[in-house]
Amino acid sequence: MSEGASERKASKPRPRPAPESKPFWDAAREHRLLLPRCNACGQFWFPPSQRCAHCLAADFTWAEATGRGRIYSFVVFHRVYHPAFESDVPYVVAIVELDEGPRLLSNIVGMNPDDVRCDMRVQVVFEDTDGITIPKFAAVS
Amino acid sequence: MIEAHPALRNRCAIVGAGNSRLGQVPGVSSLDLIIEAIANALDDAGLKASDVDGIICRGPDESYSHHQLVGERLGINARFSTSLDNGGASQILSVMLAAMAIEAGLATTVVCGYGRDAWSRTHRSEEARQSQRTRPESQHAQEFGPEYGYFGAVAAHAFGAQRHMHEFGTTREQFAEIAVACREYALKNPDAQMKKPLTIEEYFKARMIVSPFGLFDCSLRSDGAGAVIVTSAERARDLKAPPVMIRGFGSFNNLTGWFADENMIRTAANQSGETAYRMAGVGPADISTTQLYDCFTYMVLVQLEDYGFCKKGEGGAFVQSGALRLDGRLPTNTSGGQLSEAHVEGMLQIVEGVRQLRRTYPRERQVPNAEIALVSGHGGNQVCHSTLILGRSP
Repeated sequence: MSEGASERKASKPRPRPAPESKPFWDAAREHRLLLPRCNACGQFWFPPSQRCAHCLAADFTWAEATGRGRIYSFVVFHRVYHPAFESDVPYVVAIVELDEGPRLLSNIVGMNPDDVRCDMRVQVVFEDTDGITIPKFAAVS
Repeated sequence: MIEAHPALRNRCAIVGAGNSRLGQVPGVSSLDLIIEAIANALDDAGLKASDVDGIICRGPDESYSHHQLVGERLGINARFSTSLDNGGASQILSVMLAAMAIEAGLATTVVCGYGRDAWSRTHRSEEARQSQRTRPESQHAQEFGPEYGYFGAVAAHAFGAQRHMHEFGTTREQFAEIAVACREYALKNPDAQMKKPLTIEEYFKARMIVSPFGLFDCSLRSDGAGAVIVTSAERARDLKAPPVMIRGFGSFNNLTGWFADENMIRTAANQSGETAYRMAGVGPADISTTQLYDCFTYMVLVQLEDYGFCKKGEGGAFVQSGALRLDGRLPTNTSGGQLSEAHVEGMLQIVEGVRQLRRTYPRERQVPNAEIALVSGHGGNQVCHSTLILGRSP
């Protein structure tokens, strides 16, 4: 039998962090959600960059977020766009607005996709897979 | 923001419009398709390629400096020539830029066009299809997306639809009306890709893609091209076809992103439209027909609100009133749109706007007393928007 692509189990795309996001992913491995926070104006921003997205100041700190927020919007993937997600459909991808302000793209886990609603309160959970930790969100119980 | 000056109202005109074969056109490259459309537009205008001294187009994604290839095929040199990169907003932007170049004295006769082979490209092999599905939104999207199983434009727009449904009570029945209205128009258009009727029941029976979107909320994968010829109002009077005047245009770009603020439910159509209305000296009540960028059903609904045809949150009720139909308040996407005619990234919307204003269609396709058309373009990573207001020659 030939070693065709269909014979191998496809693996999910791993994040390939930009240099400025490395602290985010390193902290996720320790189950901490870090965001850049400006030392000049005090605001958080995301995705990570070397200048504050609000005031362009260069002076910032990686600060730990509460990990709590609300679902701004969400979608349910029924179609398999990537073979590695074949056994996951239907799965929920959401825009989570953290209490600190920034919006993150993530998955909503631990609940039936039919029960997910906009503005639902959620809390970060960390999923360790395959040497990498990915922050996801679950409904606040 | 500073008030835009309406200096270019009715200063330029579209004097030729054409399209290539549309839908499934195997064995023809996107470049050949655009040349086919340009040849038809030149014929329509009674012009030759050698009369053209400007080319503005948007290349297919894989092409670099596409306007050079187009010029080479047309066998011409040009005073003004460039390719644009605002996704589905590029096509109207090319007409805007043509008018600006003509007014600045940089060119006299400008071809604007776009062509793609999206159907052929994704149907050559399963491999080609797969790579198209998981192609990253941008070269930078290597994180905060694919690892969550987030791929493609369907999901991006579905986020907007979901939030709109949550805030305003919009329903899938209302999206269905948009899909069905477009299909009915396509059935009267011999060039359209979709040939079979679509019912509300079939809309609901179709498979879900990324909910709240099912199959018929999504536009087509098409091969095809469109082109228009822009020249000064003065020169237009001497040409073969009755000119369609460029009354106004505008653009706006929510560069903070589709996910930021309320951008996905209050789109850049709003500010883009205000600029265009101001230049044209008209408002929503003056528009006879709209050709709205319909990559997804929801985008029609939200643009109707953002352009002021109804209040924010009332787009659903507006479409359900039958407004989009030929006998409705605002006949919309009268060629079938990208949902049912062919998806050529907004280029065919311009062509259809021109044709409606010429009033040469048979009665079953003609918007009665079409006087002013509003055409829209939307794209990039969902945040670039452009608006064109066309009028009959006074």
